[in-house]
Amino acid sequence: MNTAAHSLLSSPWKQGAKDALPLLGGYIPVAVSFGLFSVQAGFGVLETILVSAFIYAGASQFLFVAMVVSGAPVWLVIVMTLLINSRHLVYGPNIAPYLQKDVRWLPLMHLLTDQIFALTLTRMPHMTPSDRLRWYVSAGVIAWLSWILGTALGAIAGDELIERWPLISEVLPFALPALFLVMVLPRCTDRRWTITMVMATSTAMLLKLFGFPNIAIPAAAICGALAYYAIQVRSIDEGGRS
Amino acid sequence: MSGQTWVILISIALGTYLIRALPYLWMSRKLNKQSAQGKIASTPIWLTILGPTMIAAMFGASLVPVEPSPLSWLATVIGCGATYLVWRRTRSMGYPIVAGVLVFGALIVTLG
Repeated sequence: MNTAAHSLLSSPWKQGAKDALPLLGGYIPVAVSFGLFSVQAGFGVLETILVSAFIYAGASQFLFVAMVVSGAPVWLVIVMTLLINSRHLVYGPNIAPYLQKDVRWLPLMHLLTDQIFALTLTRMPHMTPSDRLRWYVSAGVIAWLSWILGTALGAIAGDELIERWPLISEVLPFALPALFLVMVLPRCTDRRWTITMVMATSTAMLLKLFGFPNIAIPAAAICGALAYYAIQVRSIDEGGRS
Repeated sequence: MSGQTWVILISIALGTYLIRALPYLWMSRKLNKQSAQGKIASTPIWLTILGPTMIAAMFGASLVPVEPSPLSWLATVIGCGATYLVWRRTRSMGYPIVAGVLVFGALIVTLG
């Protein structure tokens, strides 16, 4: 039995809240940093909070503020930030088979971040169709509000927070790799999937280490998928020869 | 914030939303159409592979510590080890994460 199927609570609201908790460890420290960065760059507190509420995509928000402050052309700011967010293109189609026909899903796509996508893909196959919307709203809204709250904290008192609790921003973000690890492990059911996941993981880590954080995720995911197909082709070739 | 900056903000917010919503809408309609035609509704295979590899890629990217140093790398490896061991025992999501963060934090605090 895999991780997701083993530990579902009776209420989808509670389950969504429980599943979203580890995200806060990653979201709040980054959101605090963004709030502080944005205010120091000259944006107002309310403006900073609105950026987080409306764009709701970490790396592109930092880029948006940095490029606006540096006086980059409008079209370039828009193109660059949307390019960073373009990895989200594959998230909706992946979870679509689990979402029942309901127009309420459309506005809820705003909540579909990297982490919520990963959680959704892990949890939804093991839920009844009627529970899925409630679970998603619970997990998604908690994550979104934590991002907004963290931004507000950073914009209002970021300096003091980081000075008083410097370890928080160093220790809590470990919740994210731990969360992703427990989502990756159940997928490693056979040799082919294990190699695929190791390939994607190591490629992303190396790309980030060598200074390509924005393309790390899509490029590594493609490498992993190519590895999956390469192993399949090799298996067929070997089967054909024997 | 100037009028021009608001235009940029709204364009990015709208663009990001459409990047998230339109592909979902496309796949949702495709699946409904397949069902209506009496076919078995299915997602393209490449997409079902790309989903899990995206998660693995996020895992890899998140492994790089906020402040890379020999200690933070060591704590990351041991923290992941603790997460794995608790996951093997419980097969749940919550306890392994708590264990991983506690071990990682304890190493950073005691050896840092």
